Amino acid sequence: MAPQALAPSTPAPQAARPVAVPAGGAQPAVMRPAPPAPEDLHPSLWRAHQLGRHADQALPSGHEVLDAQLPGGGWPCRVLTELLLPHPGIGEMRLLARALAAVQQGGRLVMMFDPPAVVCAPALAELGLKVEQLLVIHTELQPRPGADRLWALEQALKSGHVGAVVAWLPPRLRAERVRRLQLAAHAHEGPAFMLREMAAQGQASAAPLRLSLHPAGADQLALRLLKRRGPPLLAPLHLALPPVLSAAAARRAQVGLQAGDPVAEPLQGASFINLA
Amino acid sequence: MLWVALHLPLLSLESLAASLPPTPGQALALMDAHHIVAADVQAQSLGVMPGMKRATALALAPQLVLGQADAWRDEQALNSVAHAALAYTPMVCRFEPAGVLMEVQASLRYFGGLPSLVARLRGTLAPLGHRLQLASAPTAQGAALLAQGHECLHCPDRTSLQRALDAAPLELLASAQAHGPALQGMGLRHLGDLRPLPRPGLARRFGPALLDEIDRACGERPDPREPIVAPPVFRSQLELMARADTTDQLLHGAQVLLARLVAWLSAQHAYVACFRLLMKHEPRWRGEQTAAITPLEIALAEPSREAAHMLSLLRERLGALQLPAPTLELALEADDISRRAPPHAELFPTPQSERAGLTRLIERLQARLGREQVQCLVPVADHRPERSTRVCPADPATWRERGAAPAGGDAVPGPAPLQAITRPLWLLPEPLPLQERHSRPLLEGRLLQLLAGPERIEAGWWDGGLTERDYFIAQTPEGALVWLYRARLPTRPERQGAGWFLHGRYA
Repeated sequence: MAPQALAPSTPAPQAARPVAVPAGGAQPAVMRPAPPAPEDLHPSLWRAHQLGRHADQALPSGHEVLDAQLPGGGWPCRVLTELLLPHPGIGEMRLLARALAAVQQGGRLVMMFDPPAVVCAPALAELGLKVEQLLVIHTELQPRPGADRLWALEQALKSGHVGAVVAWLPPRLRAERVRRLQLAAHAHEGPAFMLREMAAQGQASAAPLRLSLHPAGADQLALRLLKRRGPPLLAPLHLALPPVLSAAAARRAQVGLQAGDPVAEPLQGASFINLA
Repeated sequence: MLWVALHLPLLSLESLAASLPPTPGQALALMDAHHIVAADVQAQSLGVMPGMKRATALALAPQLVLGQADAWRDEQALNSVAHAALAYTPMVCRFEPAGVLMEVQASLRYFGGLPSLVARLRGTLAPLGHRLQLASAPTAQGAALLAQGHECLHCPDRTSLQRALDAAPLELLASAQAHGPALQGMGLRHLGDLRPLPRPGLARRFGPALLDEIDRACGERPDPREPIVAPPVFRSQLELMARADTTDQLLHGAQVLLARLVAWLSAQHAYVACFRLLMKHEPRWRGEQTAAITPLEIALAEPSREAAHMLSLLRERLGALQLPAPTLELALEADDISRRAPPHAELFPTPQSERAGLTRLIERLQARLGREQVQCLVPVADHRPERSTRVCPADPATWRERGAAPAGGDAVPGPAPLQAITRPLWLLPEPLPLQERHSRPLLEGRLLQLLAGPERIEAGWWDGGLTERDYFIAQTPEGALVWLYRARLPTRPERQGAGWFLHGRYA
């Protein structure tokens, strides 16, 4: 490889040195070991058709289908993960609950910034999350809501003492702000989820992992990987969430969705509705 | 005995500069009885010299900032230096005109020798922002004299002290000040010049005090000193020369006071749990006797003596505070201190340091956002969903006491939640009335499909919040699950009938 090694076999003038490379190739092939694959050189190198591996550990999401498609095999730590959803309440927390519960089992704190509604503590317990290890931070009531929200989030990420961060951010956010958060997340030993509305899909984002979430029937979620360290994935992933409905109710929900208009189904429970 | 003397040649100028907003390149001079008594480097480069009249100085340098010499202000600044020195040895005393003496022989071993002690001392005094001249000698008086003439001089034994003292000018001696012209007329300029002269004659001519002072400096006469004791309660004031209108101007003054507080705390080997910043305002009209005072109390969840952390808390609190008038004077008070073992200097983070960091983060968030905005949730045993969660402001102190981790450490997803999910995570703050079509609920103009229910919740007859509802889980056309109810009784007389209400969303 080195030009000095080639010099004795090809005593070419200085200008002809690039030409000497094929002459070097004429040497016996056994002399030169096969070049190492780039992915073996460093953990942060990968080829375009491969899935990236993170030097940092990833936190398994608890959904095998999703873990198989995420670089590192789970939610990445020390970087932002952006989740885009049409509106709150489509199963986004059931998707994250297993990973957040794992963080809490490690004795660390989960912080929620500006959740979209009042958080119901019994529901948290049903999702497997510990209420004592959770803090909810509201920043909307301040005179400068935007500035404080990003400030608080950045402080939490930079401190490195929070286990996981879930933040609801507005769809309008300048790219450099996201970039700043992403830099702050380097100090954060855990996953950082940024939940935004679908309108943010067209905007550039510094988050290395972006997903969009769509409801796909009761207790089902469809995920599209918009961006990841690896080849693009065109087909959406279908995940089964921790169920709310019983099996019979889920079947009915499936039928109702396929029928399109739930009006077609007669209301068999009319008797109890007329109680009042 | 080994004494270290700290001389502060620019004390008066520095204590004046602390009360002014920081402007680089500003010429500053001190004035007393219409005469300049001290001028800083910028002023001297403009030609302003001590001893000049005020008018002359202003003619030379019109941009000169003149301040009145204030002995009390200097004393406060010097006290802080003494407090900072108390962290190294209990034997600390003052010397004239502006210096602090400390006896460090017994502390040398602990601090790893004189050079490392001096280096640490300089680091401790750096936040106070004074220029230091430092000398060490076996006698207190000798160290005090040498510090006034040298930047940094160390005389480990009596002979080197004698040699250095012989070269020291006579004006340094307090008892020689009155006889300055006479001594000069006799050709006596240095301490060494006095030694060959007969002692009785010197005593007769210049009084016994002169010989006494020299003897004490050389260690031939005992020199008892009274140590300074730090006061049990901290209070320091700073009069602002320029009235402060903005938070930044206030913060500059507060920074000076905080550095003094930290020096006092280190003298006590203690940590402050709560301190108060008092801002004395300009009187709103002429003749108003009592000027308004705005107190700002900062309580720390974890006792601390880190100036940067306290300053960041002050900055957030001051940023949110509206002051009625410009501030003329700042005062800092602290009496709530706690003594505890110093924190370990760990190389790797431990659960303890992790918790301390978390406490600070919560404190910082609460300082800026308000205490109520950082919430923790407490489940309440009540069937009514809106009352099943109590929100209370997070208390950073509880995070400190709470056991950090049930070990674990390895982040492996736990088993799936065993109990079924029955409640939605997102509750609407107010139930949203839904329209109906053929007595079926509509959300955003589209029919909802009821999937499970009813679950009757009938509670609260005992506290006036009577709730009689039948809850259903329903599905929106795109497949998201919502939680809605039908009130069993008309909740309000003006709204006829019960109707459907959306109460939550399954996230």
